Formats: sequence, C-alpha cells, structure tokens
Amino acid sequence: MATAAPEAVRIDLGDVQGDILRAYGNAYERTTYVFVGIDEPGRGREWLHGLVDRVTTAAPWADAGKPAHAMNVAFTAAGLRALGVPDRVLRTFSDEFLQGMAERAGLLGDTGDAAPARWERGFGTGEAHVLVTINALGPTELDAALAELRTEVVRHGLQIVSEQPAQLLPQSREHFGFADGFAQPAVEGVTDDKAVGGGVPLPHGTWRALAPGEFILGYPDEDTRVDPKRRLPNAPAAPLGKSGTYMVWRKLHQDVALFRRTVRDAAQRLDRDELLLRAKIVGRWDDGAPLVTHPDTQPDEFDGRAEGANDFLYERADGDGHRCPLGAHIRRSNPRDALGFEGRLSFRHRIIRRGMPYGDPLPPDALADDGADRGLVFVCFNASISRQFEGIQVQWLNDGNIFGLGHDRDYLLGGTNGGSMVIQGRPPDPPCYLAPQGPFVTTRAGEYLFVPGITALAAIADGVTG
Amino acid sequence: MSVATPTSAPTTATGTRGGNVDGQAIAITVFSTVKWWGRVVLPFVFVAPKVAPKTLTTLQRLSFIHFARWSLITQIPHNGAPQPETKLRYPHLYFESNFNGGWEEYIDAFSHILTTGMWTFWGSSYGFPKALPTGPFKAYIKANEMEASHFYSAYPEATTTEIKQAIELDPMVAELRERADRMTPEEFATAFAELMSEAQRCC
Ligand code: HEM
Repeated sequence: MATAAPEAVRIDLGDVQGDILRAYGNAYERTTYVFVGIDEPGRGREWLHGLVDRVTTAAPWADAGKPAHAMNVAFTAAGLRALGVPDRVLRTFSDEFLQGMAERAGLLGDTGDAAPARWERGFGTGEAHVLVTINALGPTELDAALAELRTEVVRHGLQIVSEQPAQLLPQSREHFGFADGFAQPAVEGVTDDKAVGGGVPLPHGTWRALAPGEFILGYPDEDTRVDPKRRLPNAPAAPLGKSGTYMVWRKLHQDVALFRRTVRDAAQRLDRDELLLRAKIVGRWDDGAPLVTHPDTQPDEFDGRAEGANDFLYERADGDGHRCPLGAHIRRSNPRDALGFEGRLSFRHRIIRRGMPYGDPLPPDALADDGADRGLVFVCFNASISRQFEGIQVQWLNDGNIFGLGHDRDYLLGGTNGGSMVIQGRPPDPPCYLAPQGPFVTTRAGEYLFVPGITALAAIADGVTG
Repeated sequence: MSVATPTSAPTTATGTRGGNVDGQAIAITVFSTVKWWGRVVLPFVFVAPKVAPKTLTTLQRLSFIHFARWSLITQIPHNGAPQPETKLRYPHLYFESNFNGGWEEYIDAFSHILTTGMWTFWGSSYGFPKALPTGPFKAYIKANEMEASHFYSAYPEATTTEIKQAIELDPMVAELRERADRMTPEEFATAFAELMSEAQRCC
C-alpha cells in the first residue's frame, strides 16, 4: 500500500507531564502515591490552582540538575466529575476510563481475593479523585514534599484517601528478584535511540520508534501517522485532549515466599536448574539478560539499558520457544514478531511501564511468608487503555489462545486460578509442565486515571474545560 | 428485521455486545449497502482465483478466526406473516464471522494483514473508508454491525486453535498407546519424551 511519508513530529515537552516519556528511573529513589478526595469542586480547583506551576514537566532539566522532588497529577473519572468537568466534556473520554478499573474487574481477572470488594479502602468506589505522585531523591526530600502536600490538602478542606509509599530496591529488582523496568517502547522524537529492540521491527532487520500518539494524546499514532488526511486519533475534547495520556495504577501484592517455594519444588521435581527455571518463567535471567540472546547461562555482567541489550526477535531465532518459552512473561506481554505477520498483530499493544516496588523485601533465603505487604505498584501509560493495557492483560497474560497455549495464564502473575505453562524443550530436556499454583500476584487496589497536559491541567483548575 | 438489532456502544469485555458472545466464541454480523457495480463485480471477486482465495489462505493462518463469509443479498426471504415483506432497492453485502479474542484485535488483523482483501470485498459498499487507517474502518464496521439475537456455540469453552491442536494430537497419542503394551518402562519413558517433544509443535 502506498503510504505518505510521515512528517517528523515535535513534541511540546513543556506541556507534557514528567515521567511519562522519559523515566525518572533511577533518578529518584522514593515515590509516594497520594490519592486525594474532593467533596466540593470550588475548593478542589483552588487547591489545584496552587499546584499547577509546581507540576514537573517533561522539559529537560536545566543545568542545575534534577530537582529534589518531582510532582505529577492525574485524575480518575470520578475526580474530573468532582472538579466540575461537565458531562458533555466527560463523554469525550474513553469508555473504559469512564467506567473505571473496578467496573472492568471481571475482564481484567480481578476476581476472588483480587475482586474490588476486597480492595483497600477508597479504591474502586469513586472516592479516589486526584492522584499526586511524588518522586524524591531520598526520605528527607520525600517527607518535606509530603508534609507540604498534606498541609495544603487539609487547608482546602479536602481528604487524603490513601497514601502508598514505594521505593527502588537495590539493582532495580522487583520483589521476586528480577531486574525490572528497562524494556520500554521507543518513542519517535523522544527515545529514537532506543528504537532497536524497543520500537517496531521492520523487514531487513531494522527498527523504527513508535509514533508518539501511542502514548501522548493529540499526536499522530501508529494508525494516523500514514493517514494522507492527517487526522488525529480520538482524544478528549480540547483543551483536555492535548499532551495528556491515560494511566493505569494497580497495587499488585506479591507472595514472594510462595513463588520461591514453587520454583524450588519444581526445579527439584523436574531436575532443572533453579536459576534457569526462573528465567524460563520471565523470559529473562535475574539480571535481565534475555533468554533469546543468552539461552544457556546468565552473563557475568548485563546492563539492560546498554545499546543493543534489548535487540532480539522471536520468530526466526526461537520460533519453537526452546530458548524463551512461548508462555514466558515477556514473550506474552510484548510478543514482538512472535504472532507472525512481522509483528503487525502486536505493535499497537505497547505500554510505557513506570512501576515501583512497595514494602520491605523478604529476607533473601526465607521460604515462609512473614505476612508483610509487599509487591509492585504497577503503573503504565498509554493512549488507549482498552487497546493497550487491557489488550495485554486480557488477551495475552490472562489467556494463551493467541499463542497456541490454550487457556494457560501467565505463570508469573498467576491470577485467581493460578497460571500454568509448558517449558518447551527437546531431549535430553524434553518439554515440561508447570502446573497451576496459588496466585503469586493479587490485585489489592487500582484505578484508571487521566494525566492531563499542563495547559489542560490549568483549564481543569480554572474550571474552563469547555 | 427481527433477527438483529443495530449495535451501538460495546457492552462486554470483548468489545462487542452480549448477544454476540457465547463462551469463547464471538460473532460479528455486518450488513452494508452495495453500489450498482458491486452487484456485477462481487460475484467474480468471490470466485476469482487470485483475489478471494489469497485472502482466505491468510485468514486460515489467523487461527483465532473460525471463518469469515461474505455473501451478496439481493432479496430478503419472506417467511409469511407477521414478517413484513421487504424489498431491497440495493443489493447488500452480508458479512458473518466467528472468532476468539477481542473485537479490536479482530478488526486490527483485518486492517493490518488483509488490507487489500478488505478493499476487494467492501470497496463497492457505500461509505467504505478503506481498511487503513483503522479508526474510520472500525467506525464503519461498528455503524453497520448488528447484534445477534441468538448466537450459539456447541463448545463454548473451546477455541478453534485448541480444537485444531487436539485433532493433531489425537493420532499421536493413539499411536503411542498402541505401542505402549509392548514397551519396557524405560522404552516408554523415552517414547513419551519423544511424543511430548513432537506434540509441543501442534499448530
Ligand atoms: C507483580 C507483577 C509483575 C511483575 C513481578 C513483573 C515483572 C516483569 C519483569 C521481571 C520483566 C522483565 C524486565 C523488563 O523487561 O523490564 C517484565 C517485563 C514486562 N512486563 Fe511485567 N511484571 C508484572 C506485571 C505486569 C503486568 C500486569 C503487565 C501488563 C499488563 C506487564 C507487562 C510487562 C511488559 C510489557 C514487559 C516488557 C516486555 C518487553 O518489552 O520485552 N507486567 N515484567
């Protein structure tokens, strides 16, 4: 098909909130997510008014370096309503955002212990309105920023519904012990340097970054980048639709002891190396090295952010899954070209992940649960929650059909009925089966949010959203 | 017509209306009005060796799609009262397909993988916007889609991919079973591992 050459896009970084397109990553060690409830639109807007100028944008940091803390703001649908955004404007937001995460629980697999009825207080009930995310260099900076925020919230007669602290664990590991967070989509005009392995694979072994509209509203996406009429993708009505994005926030409890015991037992039963078995479940070794490029042993040193570290495809190198199992977490959550058709069934289902572990780590060799709450605050950004986040969660992680894996669910997450997986192989290591286990991961809270651009945020604060 | 009602906003998790879903199976039904020349061209398209079959071969590789069927409707059968008689002033293209997964993914597959095939089938329909970009294409399908008032799947928990896999697996297992009686436990262990290695490649 003839396609118009897309024009280079320039993103107005000063109008986009920080931490979406470029990770604060290792820049900030501490994060606290504060959910605020608003019972009177006027007071809510007044509070926001004082906040607008302090919200951190995506504009590169000046010579002075990174600020001691960064602050970002997002809204639930109930929050926009509570701030007086009229229905006629709200109707221009996506259906799934307006419904909210709790309404979509059945679809997402949040049932049984993970059902909204069992979520933490204030979530899925319409009480959580505004999410203020504070990233800080350390505990002192965090405390100072939080104290200021709490004072202002109280002064305006608003409520803090929930505060969720999170912190970077050593070597960017999540609680199960895997390096996490570095495989990210490459975005045109922002992270073009990460296109190899992070963008869209092209014939002849090259890659290109994804159109920014996949992650930022008001810009061309993968669909419209080649539209001769240059129509823009669906977005909320102006001025809200520019420079914003949708955010998925999920508090995912991890049962670390259960995961360790299950993997240890399976390794003994199947007579497999435990470290390799862990890698088979995720598709990467503990240090992040991909199985496709490092099938036999974990490399001595691996830097997931180094050039080329993420450069691999599945079909030709590992079509049968003998290196990276067909049901491994990363092969499911970003199948690259594994679904055939040169990746055309997967390139529109990408998300930017900005999660952060919460809770203290379980001591290294412990195999019994200590009852402590720990897990991952899963955060992702996407222009369409239904196409991107939900597509991954529902079609790829919670079901195996598209990969020829029947009803197998992702083994790493498990879900209410547990995950199961086949580890492909050939004699002397024939394929083996990991039977369903109790849930390693349980959803404890969650919300769908809208992250406005800076101009849009000011409009919400001013009450002039249309 | 009493068999279908126009589809508006999606109401189920799969991105389509409840009437279109039975277990793992999803139905999609689309009627579009065809321009005069479509009536001439479409019958050829359906049988032309280079056009329809090519699309159909690709369709077969997309194993989450059970089938897709396009037919040209020139009159609506009349079954007697109380059904009112309907005269069609234009021919209509009737599209019916069943699939597993989600509505969005299904239409995306049509847009991105069967791009030209879509034009061949729907190009003669009024208002057809082309299969790419997907936004207008999806809007077009949504606008012309009907919710099924009765959709039934005999095996609601099974997908076609699973059934194809099971059909491939069945003779392999039968063959091993047949040989098993004559094997020592060691021979069986080897044969079983071989079967597993072979079977993991099913579809
Ligand atoms: C507690 C729950 C989870 C844990 C412990 C976890 C862990 C991991 C790990 C260790 C990696 C590999 C490191 C990396 O690529 O950055 C990874 C990658 C990834 N995960 Fe998860 N994950 C969890 C939940 C989820 C959920 C709920 C989703 C989406 C709905 C998801 C989507 C992804 C994606 C898209 C990748 C990148 C794959 C790639 O680009 O190759 N994860 N995850």
